[in-house]
Amino acid sequence: MAYLDLLHLEKSFGPNHVVKDFNLRIEQGEFVSLLGPSGCGKTTVLRMVAGFETPNTGKILISGTDMVGSRPNQRNIGMVFQSYALFPNLTVAQNVGFGLSVAGKKRSQIAERVAEMLDLIGLADLGARFPFQLSGGQQQRVALARALAVRPKVLLLDEPLSALDAKIRLTLRREIRAIQQRLGITTIFVTHDQEEALSISDRVVVMNNGLADQIGTPFEIYNHPTTRFVAEFVGTLNTFEVTVTDPDVGAVMLGTTPLVLNRTIAAQKGAKVTLAMRPEAASLGRFGNMTLIGRIADVQFLGSIIRIRADIGAHQLTLDTFNRSDMPPPAIGSETPISLPTSSLVVLVK
Amino acid sequence: MKSARLWSYLIFLTGVMYFIIPLIGMFEFSLRKRRGEYSFDAYTSVLTDAQFQQTFLYSLLMALVAIVFGILLVVPTAYWVRLRLPKMRPVVEFVTLLPLVIPPVVIAFGYIRLFNTSSVLPFLGSQFGTDVLLSCGYVVLALPYMYRAVDTGLRAIDILTLTEAAQGLGANWPAIIFRVIFPNVLVAVLSGAFLTFAIVIGEYVISALLDRPAFGPYLVWIGSNKAYEPSALAVMTFAVTWGCMALIQVVTRFSKHTRTSI
Ligand SMILES: Nc1ncnc2c1ncn2[C@@H]1O[C@H](COP(=O)(O)OP(=O)(O)O)[C@@H](O)[C@H]1O
Ligand SMILES: [Mg+2]
Repeated sequence: MAYLDLLHLEKSFGPNHVVKDFNLRIEQGEFVSLLGPSGCGKTTVLRMVAGFETPNTGKILISGTDMVGSRPNQRNIGMVFQSYALFPNLTVAQNVGFGLSVAGKKRSQIAERVAEMLDLIGLADLGARFPFQLSGGQQQRVALARALAVRPKVLLLDEPLSALDAKIRLTLRREIRAIQQRLGITTIFVTHDQEEALSISDRVVVMNNGLADQIGTPFEIYNHPTTRFVAEFVGTLNTFEVTVTDPDVGAVMLGTTPLVLNRTIAAQKGAKVTLAMRPEAASLGRFGNMTLIGRIADVQFLGSIIRIRADIGAHQLTLDTFNRSDMPPPAIGSETPISLPTSSLVVLVK
Repeated sequence: MKSARLWSYLIFLTGVMYFIIPLIGMFEFSLRKRRGEYSFDAYTSVLTDAQFQQTFLYSLLMALVAIVFGILLVVPTAYWVRLRLPKMRPVVEFVTLLPLVIPPVVIAFGYIRLFNTSSVLPFLGSQFGTDVLLSCGYVVLALPYMYRAVDTGLRAIDILTLTEAAQGLGANWPAIIFRVIFPNVLVAVLSGAFLTFAIVIGEYVISALLDRPAFGPYLVWIGSNKAYEPSALAVMTFAVTWGCMALIQVVTRFSKHTRTSI
C-alpha cells in the first residue's frame, strides 16, 4: 500500500468522460507531476483529490483511509492555484496564518509558524504587506507558504508557474522542489510544460484524453515512451513510418533503405510501425552500426546545441549536436553520413 | 463642434436649474419663520420637538435593523447564487427587482392580512412583532439596491477560487462567508447600507399603515399642520440623504486608494 492511492478514478461531466480509469500510487515524500495537454483532465484529477469534485467511481486512499465523501475542509490537503488565490483583504502574514486561525490555534503559535513559513519562502520582511503589493512570483510563494503552514498530508499544485514570466518560472520551480524535498511532503504537480515536469519530478504521469498513458521517472518517460502520444508530447521526436520485413531480427524498410535493429519487433511481417528517435541520439559521421546519408536542409545555432535538419530520401530527420568551437556545422546542401544507434530507436506499435 | 458643446452645457444647466431652484426656494422659505428677517427658527423648532427626536431615533433604529437583516440575507444569497447556481442569477435578479414594481401599499396590506391577530402568526398583535414586520418590509424595499451593490462587489473578486482556497485550508461555510467573502465586499455592502438608510428614513406608506411612530409619518403630519417647519425638515432630510451618498463615494475612494498604492 502506498501513501496516496488513486484507484480506478472515473469522472464525467454530463456526456463528457473526462477522467478514465485513472490509477496512481504515490509514496510518502514523492513528487509526482501530471503532464498533458490542456483539457486532458489533469485539474479534474487534482480537484478530486482535494475534494472539490466527487469521482463517479473509484477510491482516493491516504494511508489506507478513503477520502471520497469527506469534505474538502476536512481532508487537510494543501492546494496552490495558478491564480495564487490569496485573500486580498488579508496581509501576507494573515494569509499564511489563515488555516491555523480557522483551526482555532493560539495567536502565539500562529505567529511562530507564520514566521517560520515566511522564512522558508524567503519573504520574512514582507509579512505586513498586502497581496496587491507583491509581484506574481512573491504572491505564489506566499500561496505555497499558506498551503504548507497547516502541515497538510498532501500538497497539490495546479499549474502554479503558468502565470509567471519565464525567468521567475525557472527559479520558482527550483525553489518549490527544494522546499518539497526539505519538508519531505508528498506532492502532485500539474503542468502542461514537459520540461517543467521532467526537471522537477520523481515521477511523471503523462495524461492523454483522461487516461494515464504512461507513468514513470523522467528518464523512462523521455527515453522509453510506451505510446506514440507520450513520445511526441515529451520532447522533440523524429518519427518514421516503416514496414516490418523480418520481426525476429528487427528488419524494417525505411522507404527504400533497409534497417536492422537486431531485436524482435512485436508486429507481423509486412505491418507498418513507427520508429521514433530523439534528436540527440543521431550524430554526424560514421560510428556504430547504422549509417544513412543525409542532405543538410537547415542548421539552427542554439548556443550550446546545434539543431540540424537533414533529408534522408523522402524523410526528414532532426538531430542535435553539441556545439564545439573547433568543429563548424556542416554546410547547407552538403551530403553527410548520419549515424543512428539502433538501441535508441524506439518502436511504437500503438 | 463648438455649438454642440454649447448645447450640451445648456442642457446640463437646464437640468441643474430644474433640480436646484425648487431646493433653493424651499431652503429660502424655511428661513422665513421670523417676520422680516432670515433665521433658523424653523430648524430649532423642529430639532427641539420631542416627537421629532423620538420618530427620528425610531426610524434610525429600524434602519440599522433593516441593514443588518438585509446584509445577512443578501450577502450569503448573492454569494451562493454566484458560486453554485449561476444559472439562477437572472431569476434571483428579477425577484430582487420586484419591490420596485410592487407598491409598498401591497406589501403593507399583505402583512396585515397574513399576520393579523387572528392569524397563525399574529405578529401584529404586539408592538415588537409589528416592529419586526416593519423592518422586514424595509429589507424588501431596499432589496433591489442591496442585492445589486453586493452582486457587483462579488463580481470584482474570484469567489470560486477564494472559496476553494479557504476550504482547502480547513475553513467551514461561516468562516468562508465572514472571513473571506464579507470583508472583500465590504465597500459594496456599505453602499447598500447607506442606500437602505436613505430609503428607511423617508419611508411613509408601510410605517403609516402599520401605525408605527416612524419619521415618514411625522414628516407628513408636520406638513399638514405647520408652515415653515416642513421645509426645514425637507432640507434636513435632503442633507442626510446626500450625506449618505457622499459617504458611499468616500468609502469607495478610500478602498480604491488602498488597492493601488504601494
Ligand atoms: N465543472 C465542469 N463542468 C463541466 N465540464 C468540466 C468541468 N470541469 C472540467 N470540465 C471539462 O473537463 C475536461 C478536462 O478539464 P481539466 O481537468 O480542467 O483539464 P486540464 O486541467 O488538463 O486542462 C475539459 O474538457 C473541461 O471542459
Ligand atoms: Mg487545468
